[in-house]
Amino acid sequence: MIKVKNKKIKSFLSRKTLFANKNRNIIAISAIILTTLLFTSLFTIAISINDGFQQNNFRQAGGFAHGTFKYLTKEQYGQLKDDTLIKEYGVRRFLGMPTDEPFNKSHVEVGYSDANYAHWTYCDPIEGTLPKENTNEAATDTKVLELLGVKPELGTEFTVTFYVDKKKTTQTFTLCGFWEYDSAVVANNILIPESRVNSILNELDVQPSEQSGSWNLNVMFKNSFNIESKINKILENHGYQNEQKDDNYIAIGVNWGYSASQLYQNMDTTTILAILSALIIIIFTGYLIIYNVFQISVSNDIKFYGLLKTIGTTPKQLKIIIRKQAIMLSCVGVPIGLLLGWFVGGKLTPVISNQLDGIVTVISINPIIFIVSALFSIFTVLISCHKPEKIAAKVSAIEAVRYTDAANTKQKGKRKSQKASILSMAKANVGRNKIKTVVTVLSLSLSVVLLTITIIFTKGFDMDKYLRRMAVDFQIANAGYFQTGGEIFNKDMELSENVIEQMKIFDGIKGGITYGKVSAAQEFVTEEYYRNSLLSHYNTEEQMDSIISFMEKDKNNMLVANVQLYGMEDFILDKLTVHEGDISKIKEPNSKYIAAVYSDDDYGEIIKESQWAKLGDTVKIRYVDKFEYFNPNTGEVYSQDEDFSDLPFSSRAVEYHEEEYIVAAIVTIPSSLSYRYYGSDEFILNSQTFINDTGTDSVMYYAFDVDENKQQIKDFLESYTTEINSSLDYESKDTYAAQFSGFRNMFLILGISISAVVAIIGILNFFNAILTGICVRQREFAVLQSIGMTGKQLKKMLVFEGLWYALTCAIFSLILALVLSPIIGNMFENIFWFFTYKFSIIPVLLLSIIFAFLGIILPLITYKFTVKHSIVERLRAE
Amino acid sequence: MKILETQNLKKIYGTGETAVHALDGVNLVVENGEFVSIVGTSGSGKSTLLHMLGGLDRPTEGKVIVDGNDIFKLKDEALTIFRRRKIGFVFQSYNLVPVLSVYENIVLPIQLDGSKIDEDYINEVIETLGLSSKLQNLPNQLSGGQQQRVAIARAIASKPAIILADEPTGNLDSKTSQDVLSLLKITSQKFSQTIVMITHNEEIAQLADRIIRIEDGLIVGGENND
Repeated sequence: MIKVKNKKIKSFLSRKTLFANKNRNIIAISAIILTTLLFTSLFTIAISINDGFQQNNFRQAGGFAHGTFKYLTKEQYGQLKDDTLIKEYGVRRFLGMPTDEPFNKSHVEVGYSDANYAHWTYCDPIEGTLPKENTNEAATDTKVLELLGVKPELGTEFTVTFYVDKKKTTQTFTLCGFWEYDSAVVANNILIPESRVNSILNELDVQPSEQSGSWNLNVMFKNSFNIESKINKILENHGYQNEQKDDNYIAIGVNWGYSASQLYQNMDTTTILAILSALIIIIFTGYLIIYNVFQISVSNDIKFYGLLKTIGTTPKQLKIIIRKQAIMLSCVGVPIGLLLGWFVGGKLTPVISNQLDGIVTVISINPIIFIVSALFSIFTVLISCHKPEKIAAKVSAIEAVRYTDAANTKQKGKRKSQKASILSMAKANVGRNKIKTVVTVLSLSLSVVLLTITIIFTKGFDMDKYLRRMAVDFQIANAGYFQTGGEIFNKDMELSENVIEQMKIFDGIKGGITYGKVSAAQEFVTEEYYRNSLLSHYNTEEQMDSIISFMEKDKNNMLVANVQLYGMEDFILDKLTVHEGDISKIKEPNSKYIAAVYSDDDYGEIIKESQWAKLGDTVKIRYVDKFEYFNPNTGEVYSQDEDFSDLPFSSRAVEYHEEEYIVAAIVTIPSSLSYRYYGSDEFILNSQTFINDTGTDSVMYYAFDVDENKQQIKDFLESYTTEINSSLDYESKDTYAAQFSGFRNMFLILGISISAVVAIIGILNFFNAILTGICVRQREFAVLQSIGMTGKQLKKMLVFEGLWYALTCAIFSLILALVLSPIIGNMFENIFWFFTYKFSIIPVLLLSIIFAFLGIILPLITYKFTVKHSIVERLRAE
Repeated sequence: MKILETQNLKKIYGTGETAVHALDGVNLVVENGEFVSIVGTSGSGKSTLLHMLGGLDRPTEGKVIVDGNDIFKLKDEALTIFRRRKIGFVFQSYNLVPVLSVYENIVLPIQLDGSKIDEDYINEVIETLGLSSKLQNLPNQLSGGQQQRVAIARAIASKPAIILADEPTGNLDSKTSQDVLSLLKITSQKFSQTIVMITHNEEIAQLADRIIRIEDGLIVGGENND
């Protein structure tokens, strides 16, 4: 190939053409800015929220170490810590937890963390230092100090009572450092030196074990990808495994806070498709407008390009000239778009993350955002120019002179119409450049459809469905009842009668008590049922064999399994969802009827396998007063004083009474009214029968609805549970409702911002189509006027054209919305259990009216600019 | 009978030192049924004169009287309506509406006026100009000569008082030019139309009944061809 030094002239020509086209440039640059803005703000929001989520997850997970090897012996710890895969490690030795007041509502851990681990778990003293070895120092957070009633002053002594492997101990420490309490972090720490951990273990005669004192090795890898397989690799390297509980078993933990690794593991087709389609939609919208602008400007300049061709410019050079223009425009548009996009994204992120419960607001300045956005925008610009480049390159010099917009339509057939009304002319004009028209209508419709989807999405968030979980206005109980992963309900957690009396003072309260089971109760089930129960999800087949072999069997060879019982007053019974049968039989005094509790999924669908008892079945319950423990291998019965915890043991009831009930109803319990943990099969009795048959009357919670004074009662509960009786806690429907609307608002804001951007693009496209359509036809209009078209008629024609766009777009988007909404609605219903699909025509109507308005206004404004030039001037313009 | 008259028609572009006198007081009378050609070199003011005659541009001074009406007394809107009823244009570059078929282009001025189409008359015009087989075609499917014939048909269709032709053969080869011009002449005779045509081509000008010469915005002479 002959190299010709023509780079300069090509640049010169591109520049010259570029500057000759001021209006086009403004539109093109705006389009590029908008596209870049769209990419950047979207990436900023996405990455910021992801970072925020991650931060939040780390706080909830308690730290940001990649993974953990749990409950190691000192020897195992020594082996694993130097593995080459590990970039950094930190060690943690958990000692014990204080659970008595004032710590009954908090999760506080006493233990040793080295500097790395302390840092990874947000234990960075803002004042003082971490505790030094061989001292009685301790460091903790301001919340713990506040609970202890200790002023955050270094050197202060404080005393904590806590349990080390169930052994109670009281220790005194000197405060050597503290950090600010962070409500997002679930666990509070009291950090003490390792020497102190050892001395307390000695003092209490506790061997390091899973419960206390063992070594936890926390590790950081080079990156957060594939954490679990790296951990397993390390175990393998040293001859350990975590599949089976054998001698070489080591428990592991993967920090689930790393959404990168989560995403990597859970990347399913739907997620990938969702991400891809979002990107494609943006590229497509950007493409639509940029393409349109260049397409039009090429049509405008086609004579010029024809001229260049006649004087010897090759098609390739023409392409380069056009591409150069596009790149020069990008040079202006992309940086502005990046900045604006980052700004918009940064402004929107806090709005969104504030709505998300407990998300840490982070505004990412990840350079990847800018690089990727810029690349995407330039990519969009380049593909947008591709077709216009081809048109310019292909056109022959002679054709170029005759080139009109109509010339590139493929209309070969003859026109049938015999009438040239203004309306039919307008219609013909719109159909003149089919691609341009389709692109404009598409981008307008896209914004309408996006808005419709957003509105449907947010409107479909069904508060009632969401609040089904919280069936009552208020619920008060021991704080432990509300704690997830808290203790199993026991006698210490019962709610005293006088609290309930306190509540009843308020007017308009309707409520009821649920008694919880504190004594042993058993049912009789087949082995087959038990084997397939929920327990099987958590245990391997071998483990199930072992569990079953230790269980007692009755004379009918039925397994004796624990059972969970509720004693409910009528008010609570009425809150249950009855799927079969009749709850009223249960309400009768001394009723021997019972309700069988089934589990339901998020959508309220009953899970058939979750219970064995059917309507009308007889359920025999054994109330046990006394157990005896024996060795299942030898049959030897252990005496009561014997410590058999290290030996195999099984239990059987020796003192008990049995009652039989008939299943009168199949029910599900709103989750807030249940035990809030799953243990075994559940049945519901009325409160009186419950008290009679179990011989216990421990109130689990009091739940009530109120007619008025909601706020007053809430304030009362708030102060009562914090100041007067801090062992109690409460929940209200408001809490759930607030959570819900926060969630909904986030999506509303997000959806509206996206539709707004798309709508702006659509309107810009619309504006562009009308404006350029009029500019290109200046001369034609002059002709029409010269042969007698009045200004009024011309305006009418232009308005018809504008309205045609609006109408087509309205019809098209209505069809799209009608077709797509049910599909998408269905999808949402599958993703969000509290979503109810409701179609809404309002967005289509609203935007159609706006577009119709623009369809009238835009042509009229443009026309005004056109007629500034006289007919003669316009006729002369070539 | 006078169908067209100008009185001291002046058009001045710009002001003061840089003022250009495109027309410098033109007085002209055209009789009904006459075929007049206006000849002048480029820059002589002939196009400006034609634009004034057609009411496309307003003069700085003077009057244009068409069929007894002083057209510049009319407002823009009324002038446009007057134009579509009384004046037919034939342009050098045909200026057909690309999205309309040949037939639609021809009847466009009548329809813009909302009047009833005189089918017999239109058919006769189409016949005379040899466009019968092309009626449903779009302009870009026609040759230059054909396009100009459509433009002539369009100009005649509304039975105007005058047809103003601006270099009607400027874009055509000489053979086609001859065809188009003879058609123009035949048509004007057949339908007794008044035609004012501007051209810089002496040969073409010879086809007219009368030639008016214009130079530097002034009529410098006229002669009758018989």
